Amino acid sequence: MPTILLVEDNEMNRDMLSRRLERKGYRVIAAKDGAEGYYLARSQSPDIILMDISLPVMNGWEVTRRLKSDRATSHIPIIALTAHALATDRAKAFEVGCDDYDTKPVDFVRLQIKIEKLILEKKPS
Amino acid sequence: MKFHNLSIKRKMTLITMLTSTAALLLFSVSFLIYDLIAFRHFLSEDLSTQAEIIGYNSAAAMAFKDQAAATETLAALKAKEDITAAVLYSPEGRIFARYNRANIAKMTLPDRLPPADGFRFSGSFLEVFHVVSLNGEPCGRLFLQSDMSQWNARAKRYAGLLLVFMVCSDLLALLVSSKLQNLISQPILRLEDTMRMVSSRKNYEVRALKFYDDEIGRLIDGFNTMLADIQERDTALQGANYELKSQTNELEDEVARRKQTQEELLGAKRAAEDASRAKSAFLANMSHELRTPLNAIIGYSEMLEEEIQDSGRIEKVEDVRKIHSAGKHLLALINDVLDLSKIEAGKMGLHLEHFEVAGMIEDIVSTLEPTIAKNANRLVLQLSEDLGQMHGDITKVRQILFNLLSNACKFTEHGTISLSVNRATAEGQEWIRFRVSDTGIGIGAEHQENLFKEFAQADVSIARKYGGTGLGLAISHRFAQMMGGQIGVESEMGKGSVFTVHLPAHVTTEAAGTAKPKQLSGRAAAEPEPKLQPNTVLMIDDDPAERELMCRSLAKAGFHVVAVADGEEGLRLARRIQPVVITLDVLLPGIDGWEVLSRLKADSELAHIPVIVVTIVDNELKRADCGASSYLIKPVNRDLLVKLIEKYSELQPSTSGGGVPVNV
Repeated sequence: MPTILLVEDNEMNRDMLSRRLERKGYRVIAAKDGAEGYYLARSQSPDIILMDISLPVMNGWEVTRRLKSDRATSHIPIIALTAHALATDRAKAFEVGCDDYDTKPVDFVRLQIKIEKLILEKKPS
Repeated sequence: MKFHNLSIKRKMTLITMLTSTAALLLFSVSFLIYDLIAFRHFLSEDLSTQAEIIGYNSAAAMAFKDQAAATETLAALKAKEDITAAVLYSPEGRIFARYNRANIAKMTLPDRLPPADGFRFSGSFLEVFHVVSLNGEPCGRLFLQSDMSQWNARAKRYAGLLLVFMVCSDLLALLVSSKLQNLISQPILRLEDTMRMVSSRKNYEVRALKFYDDEIGRLIDGFNTMLADIQERDTALQGANYELKSQTNELEDEVARRKQTQEELLGAKRAAEDASRAKSAFLANMSHELRTPLNAIIGYSEMLEEEIQDSGRIEKVEDVRKIHSAGKHLLALINDVLDLSKIEAGKMGLHLEHFEVAGMIEDIVSTLEPTIAKNANRLVLQLSEDLGQMHGDITKVRQILFNLLSNACKFTEHGTISLSVNRATAEGQEWIRFRVSDTGIGIGAEHQENLFKEFAQADVSIARKYGGTGLGLAISHRFAQMMGGQIGVESEMGKGSVFTVHLPAHVTTEAAGTAKPKQLSGRAAAEPEPKLQPNTVLMIDDDPAERELMCRSLAKAGFHVVAVADGEEGLRLARRIQPVVITLDVLLPGIDGWEVLSRLKADSELAHIPVIVVTIVDNELKRADCGASSYLIKPVNRDLLVKLIEKYSELQPSTSGGGVPVNV
């Protein structure tokens, strides 16, 4: 049962996404700000991280950059979720080391496909 | 100083002097020469006569060999001062007797005597030979020599006399010519003075004084005419100069004014740009804020749907789906606004990649299947074989096509929608041409212009009936432009619309956003027919500003306004929507307001509708019997008009049953 770390500050989105993911059979741990997300990523070693970008305390770009520069966590795939559909965000997501990118509101089916794909890819290593 | 450069005065004096001197000189010399020649001849005659006399007197002495008598005879020559020598020769040639002037020491005798009588000039002497004969017998010869002193004296005297005469004549000539040359030189000198004055003072008003009516007089006349011409031109030139100067000043003022206006305009432009940027930023932020709760709505509704399905309460699924689809619709609207604000803020970039055109279309069609089926439409696909790959922003191409096809589905019922795609070469590059046509309601010409502008849906009722933000075409248009392509429309009311999109097969970043939309064929946008509503006022007015203002006032008063610009359309709509009141402008393109009014009154279906004529043309005669319920002169007090319309609408048969005219 893969573990997903969901970093999302909006309570409803966090609740909704985590419940839907749980319904699909994932174990979900949720963080409500960047610092908590960073802490949980290091302590819980999730299989994949869904990272909102505009987060309090520490924003998603910063959390991603830190996790990707740490050998202990750099292998964990990260999908950036942003409400900004700006082209610059997409470019920035890949620049800071995100493995994929999606815009909110999420197309749940599409998101699940991305999650599965990344988990499969990362598993062997 | 050369003669040429002397003053005219001097030249004339000199010419007179030289001429008279030359004439006098010629005359004097001729006279002198003639006189001297004549005098010489006279001298020789005279000496010959003397020789004859002496010969005659000494002939006897010669015959008798009386030397003393002969010498005596010769000595008588003493009285003649000019005779220097006289010699009598014997017939044998020996000197018989001789006479020598005392003061002459030596005399030269001729070597040989000529055989006959004669004279000759030898040096400065005149010599005469004479044969002395007695009773016809020659008895010797006489030689006389004269020193020509008389001739010399005469020559000297005459020369002196002539010199004096010449000097006197010249003096006289000088006197006369210096007086008379004024006749000619004076006018010329005065003319010269005048000229100098004109040229130095630039004063073209002076005139040269004319003395006589001769050539110089005519010259002065010519000069004066020329001066008059110059003066005239000078005046004209000064006038023109003055005018030019004033025009230059005006121009400078104008330039300054324009510069100021330009600066003001620039300021206004900057302010407008700032405002526009602020608006875009606001829209982007607002869209973001709106999306967050939407996330929850869509997400929870999806989740609920799944849970309801799992729990088997199928009857609730539809309700949840409605929430979900409303949420999706709202999201689409927000996305449109966000797209547009991104485009306007210049933040919309291009993600260029290679993709299969046919594959993309397949994708779109499969997504659109439910939409196509909704209005019982049929989709016909015509893809040419050579479509191949395109290099462009697939998301944007997809969005354009999605938009055009959804519109076609939306405005067509039980019809055919066709999408044909081909590849063509034009203007030196390859293009992919997408053509979306439908058999739907079509677009009126008046709306085609604004079709690709933002927020330009024909009427609020369209959004209500068909949905959409009115941004789809604007966004598609901008996207096509960004990729260096263009989008165009051809449509006719009731006959459907054809949208054509030309995109470069190889989009480059240089092309992005720089391409200007080219002149598009065809006309306006899909304009859905206004719906039948209670409290509808039909406004027939060709002034867009007036329409806009009236629409606002009447909408505030709770009326639904349908506005049209021409009479034909007005009549057609009046039948269709049955308005409570019609406001009618008189000056209309095509058929005029009076004609519209008479047709309205002639139609049994429309005759009951109160018509308020609103016009700038005050025509008493027409007013009286046109059949209008009220007659207002522009500019109209809108509040009054609203009140009037309210009264008429209350009097409608449907509401109050009365048809009483209202006085205003």
